[in-house]
Amino acid sequence: MTEVRIGYQEELQALEASGLGGLDLVSASLSRTLEAVEHQDIELAQIVVADDDRIDGRYLEVHQALITLLATQSPVATDLRLISALLHVLKNIERMGDQCVNICKVIPMSGHEPPADERMVKLILTMGVHTKSLISQAKRAFEERNIEMARDLVERDDVVDELNRECFGLALEIGDDADRREWAMTMLLTARAIERIADNAVDIGEQVAFVVTGLFREFEDASHPSAQA
Amino acid sequence: MFGSREKSGVGGAQGGGTMAPAGAVTETSSQAAASAAGVRAKTLQAKGVDLYYGDFQAVAGVDMTIEPNKVTALIGSSGCGKTTFLRSLNRMHELTPGATVKGDIELDGEDIYADGVDPVAVRRLIGMVFQQPNPFPTMSIYDNVAAGLNFNSEKVRKAEKDEIVERSLRGAHLWEEVKDRLDRPGAGLSGGQQQRLCIARATAVSPEVLLMDEPCSALDPVATLAIEDLIGELKKEFTIAIVTHNMQQAARASDNTAFFNLEETGKPGRLVEIGPTEQIFTNPRQKATEDYVSGRFG
Repeated sequence: MTEVRIGYQEELQALEASGLGGLDLVSASLSRTLEAVEHQDIELAQIVVADDDRIDGRYLEVHQALITLLATQSPVATDLRLISALLHVLKNIERMGDQCVNICKVIPMSGHEPPADERMVKLILTMGVHTKSLISQAKRAFEERNIEMARDLVERDDVVDELNRECFGLALEIGDDADRREWAMTMLLTARAIERIADNAVDIGEQVAFVVTGLFREFEDASHPSAQA
Repeated sequence: MFGSREKSGVGGAQGGGTMAPAGAVTETSSQAAASAAGVRAKTLQAKGVDLYYGDFQAVAGVDMTIEPNKVTALIGSSGCGKTTFLRSLNRMHELTPGATVKGDIELDGEDIYADGVDPVAVRRLIGMVFQQPNPFPTMSIYDNVAAGLNFNSEKVRKAEKDEIVERSLRGAHLWEEVKDRLDRPGAGLSGGQQQRLCIARATAVSPEVLLMDEPCSALDPVATLAIEDLIGELKKEFTIAIVTHNMQQAARASDNTAFFNLEETGKPGRLVEIGPTEQIFTNPRQKATEDYVSGRFG
């Protein structure tokens, strides 16, 4: 048999690379976000907010191209699953970018020199480092169609969840000073946003399993934590 | 089930019969009543089917079940044996000189190639619709539909014939378009209408199974979709197998899909995979199926 539809295959591969490249944009955005949090850098936070347009642009560009492929090439089987998964992953990427924006938008609320608690900042930065690692692992698992690597994201996400709970504990102990309490509240929003970014990385892992097996199962069901697929 | 003839022989080149025995007609009528009452159509089952043209083996070792009241699409590249296999399902393969069949093909458990089975009775129970609409050109629309009745029964009363013609044309979604010109030639209809006329002709004799060999390949897209809608209706009464080169048609119109493939030119075609259409087009088990339905190889 002769290999055919080479142009279509190349286009699909390029769209996958471009779509997953959005995770690199998110990772860069998260790095800047963490730096802005660490140094209370309001200008850098504004840059993160402005640069989110690049992530949104990537989403729109790849999404439209995938819809065009669906309309013109009638993809089936693995190609269809890949396109379906990429559409999901694009949404995850767009949401991860938005969470960075959410964090950066609250940074100015506590002013240039907030009454920061070093332990809490350190916990959040640690969460961020773990989450960046989850993002790159999710990307690699997708590129390599590696279900084990994708499933491992769940355990690594548990670490981020635990750090988030520790942040919550520290916030409870922050004391009676109104300014410190307000700062702690913004930090809880920040921790929560990072925790959600990590959750999105796990969701991408679930799409890896879908592409490979054709079956969609949540790795972990938040509403039924004991029912793990 | 089938009218018996003098030994038709498995695999022998058979010229086809002229008149069906009366017993078969009686059974066909009773089956018409059964179908109208919504009784399930029959299952076709191939067991170890090998098909030959002389010494050349065109198809090897096909085991598959064509389920009742479902549409089974046969797909595969040209020359993979899917049409040959389809034609073996109602004993048309043997009409080609030198063509032979090995293995069993059963209609609800009864071997259609058994000694004494009348191929004409088989072909009435397992009708065929062809690639090119082939109404009898000189016959009226009415006579085209009634043609099978004339040939297959000794006497069908006029009133009964009128009823069957109308029911068949309605079933083929053609009645409203032709009811005022039933005496006009069938050849005067459009391609899509002619194909629906042929479907009406095939269903008029109340078969159990309808075989369709690329029934839409000569039709425009709208007529194609009309036939596909019709196929979806017909499966309520009949078991349907359809050969198609149009994979989107297989995806749209069938419940099960069977993929045939050739290992290489000169080798016989084989059934690679059969399964629910949804599965074949989203998550096929075999790489060869994946490559074919994805259009990676052709």
